[in-house]
Amino acid sequence: MTIDGLSPAKTVRPNSTEELAEYLSAFKGAVVPMGAGTQMFFGNPLQRADCVVDLKSLSRITEYVPADLTIHVEAGVTLAKLEHTLLENNQFLPLDPWNGPHATVGGIAAANAQGPFRAAGTIRDWIIGMKVVEIDGRVSKAGGRVVKNVTGYDLQKLYTGSLGTLAIIVEISLKLRAKFARTATSIARFADFDAAAACVATLRKSPLQPVSCEWVGPGNEVWLRFGEHPRAVDWQLQNLPAGADWTILEGSDEKAAWERLRTTYNALGPIIVRAAGLPTAVREIIDTYRPQAWIAHALNGIVLLQFSSPDEIRRIREKHRAVIEKAPVEVRKQIGAFGLNDDEYSLMKRMKDAFDPEGRLNPGRHVDGELR
Amino acid sequence: MNKEVIARLRQICGATAVVEDETELLVYECDGLPLFKNRPDVVVFPRNAEQVSQVVCVANEYRIPFLPRGAGTGLSGGALAVTGGIIIELQRMNRILSIDVENRIAIVQPGVVNLHISQAAAPLGLYYAPDPSSQMSCSIGGNVAENSGGPHCLKYGMTTNHILAVEAVTAKGEIIRLGNPAGEPIGMDLLGVIVGSEGTFAIVTEITVRLLPKPQAVKTLLAAYRSVEECSQTVSDVIAAGIVPAALEFVDAKTIEAVEASVYKAGYPRDAVAALLIEVDGFRDGLEETSAAIVEICRRNRAYEVRVAKDDDERARLWLGRKGAFGAMGRLAPDMITMDAVIPRTRLPEVLVAIDRMSERYGLGVANVFHAGDGNLHPLILFDSRYPDQVEKILAMSEEIMKLCVDVGGSLSGEHGIGYEKKDFMDLVFTETDLQSMLRVKQVFNPDGLLNPEKIFPSRRGCTEIGKHNTTSTAEIGKRVESVLLGPEKVQR
Repeated sequence: MTIDGLSPAKTVRPNSTEELAEYLSAFKGAVVPMGAGTQMFFGNPLQRADCVVDLKSLSRITEYVPADLTIHVEAGVTLAKLEHTLLENNQFLPLDPWNGPHATVGGIAAANAQGPFRAAGTIRDWIIGMKVVEIDGRVSKAGGRVVKNVTGYDLQKLYTGSLGTLAIIVEISLKLRAKFARTATSIARFADFDAAAACVATLRKSPLQPVSCEWVGPGNEVWLRFGEHPRAVDWQLQNLPAGADWTILEGSDEKAAWERLRTTYNALGPIIVRAAGLPTAVREIIDTYRPQAWIAHALNGIVLLQFSSPDEIRRIREKHRAVIEKAPVEVRKQIGAFGLNDDEYSLMKRMKDAFDPEGRLNPGRHVDGELR
Repeated sequence: MNKEVIARLRQICGATAVVEDETELLVYECDGLPLFKNRPDVVVFPRNAEQVSQVVCVANEYRIPFLPRGAGTGLSGGALAVTGGIIIELQRMNRILSIDVENRIAIVQPGVVNLHISQAAAPLGLYYAPDPSSQMSCSIGGNVAENSGGPHCLKYGMTTNHILAVEAVTAKGEIIRLGNPAGEPIGMDLLGVIVGSEGTFAIVTEITVRLLPKPQAVKTLLAAYRSVEECSQTVSDVIAAGIVPAALEFVDAKTIEAVEASVYKAGYPRDAVAALLIEVDGFRDGLEETSAAIVEICRRNRAYEVRVAKDDDERARLWLGRKGAFGAMGRLAPDMITMDAVIPRTRLPEVLVAIDRMSERYGLGVANVFHAGDGNLHPLILFDSRYPDQVEKILAMSEEIMKLCVDVGGSLSGEHGIGYEKKDFMDLVFTETDLQSMLRVKQVFNPDGLLNPEKIFPSRRGCTEIGKHNTTSTAEIGKRVESVLLGPEKVQR
């Protein structure tokens, strides 16, 4: 296996938290935690890698209490397995990260991976507790097993998105949602950029509440997904912005369409940048930086832009917050993946030093490898 | 307090924005948890982040403990000046700086009252979702510190799900900005860990909150029961039916008795053993059906009366009883402690029975009014502080309730925080290693421990943590409370 050009000498595949803890308490090299390996192109380039910790064997669903709307899983459980389990009780986790059903819950959390379903936030909003193994083998937990909890610091939020550089996530407790009684998707293709932009502007002011609102370019498409009481979905479909020819999709057609969009996303490259701004800035972001292709979570102010050169990343960062979501290692060696401001950098650096003073956990991946 | 420090503080905030008179300071000796009291040495009223920052710098220079305070409505002693020092009172930073309709955000100062945000946004068709029962007086800065909840968090999430960005003053006095208006965590979620850090990581001086469009329609209904089990079963059945209510609140007989005898009279059936206040909201289309499905579930669980509010007035009246329940308790006893704990909602019936037994054993009245939908209990322990033995009993009973909730898989606090009140219970849910990891994060934000000391962590750790100040144990402060209330001669231990 090669990650960012490095070939770790060995891989361990612990079967339990205890096994991992025991291993780490003795091991003194650089450790690279890994789930399904669906997003190894994310983050700053790995600087050292002596041992990969493959978490796929931590794949047990330790407890599922449908009546409490909670599930407790090991980090290596895949999204597909989770969804399948929840389906029995008509429940789901309201997110659909681009890295898809084979991604592990631990990996999704470590990268705070996301997809078009943004109305309910990201996985950070659904994690209620976490167990981690720290670099010296100590096992600690944060949060709890109940849906509402303010006991102690929310360290699970800190671990979410930290790319396994503070501690290795081994167990996650999630709160869940009842499945929507009905979902439907409407897609329209517009004549040009301005028409699509006008539709998005109308949506921002409209009473519609799509759970996904994607502005997909350069084809000038707007994708809307609704999930609600069947009559509320109907009402929204009847009140779609006028002046467009909306195609309504349901059931397997709907599912296939979103799978198609996921394929579109995965084909973007070589550089994908995730810019975050005000929802009203989405148009300007696309218009100014002219990506060859883009997918915008238009009502959230998030635009995924396809670029071909690192200069374009530098240019967008002059004005907007932008994370490199995907880029070849050569690009990530020239420019920091996160584009942190001074306040964030200094706090994150201190956080990294506090958890991993020797810099042995995913060295270089996060703040410790961020070029400034 | 050192005269030089006072002079410096006056210079920073202005002469009228520094209070050091002992009588005036009495107001600040506790927050919404009057069980523990300790007077700060001085209270300052800054008007902007720069002043907050300068005050913090002075505190650091002289090694004086300091802590932020909003409206002082917190219920876990988070704004208690345990070791004295400077209280940074943020009430004068109370401006709504902007409301952006199209982007559905508001930028506000920390002293803004929670409800005022929704009131200001209402003409624009928007509102701020988290609604603690104290929303008419609590401040948004306090909400951020405590990660406050409220009845409508069942559907809409806690404060942490609605805060997009903050400006904050660190424990060392730097002014920092975290988060962004897209609500997109970039790298480690630093903002996520600051929200709910109970004023021990930073002092928030400006907050960008998410606003939501007001739902097209709302249905509120009240269901009355003759048994707690049937009432609890309704809660489970509503959830199992896939309905996501905006709120699902439980009130027991004692609460109904108090409410109906008070100005908060809401028309709750006086003979009910328990009642549920259920609200659904969203699109007009489909809401009638959802509400009908809930009525059906209530009846199936033998609710003997189900009343759907006909109009906004009736809705408001049903909520008045719920939100006024805490105030109404004055009808039943001179003093009250609002407990806060959370359990898996499936364990409600057994836990309520156990609390009832405890109430008998301790001879202390308990009223239950809480967020049943997410298992967030609020036993209200009624007592009379003129009897010194009752304070001791309350401390013992609250510990027993905590143990019970933890034993069934729950946690110490659903929305009030640990603060000073529950710090010695943290061992019930967290191991030494868990707490060390949390302390490590605290060290990053608050390396000298001067910011809001003696909170969250059990006392023995608290001592080593700051090491420079005399700490006061829960029992000692309890004694002090009694001596203030009763006069020192009556306190005998």
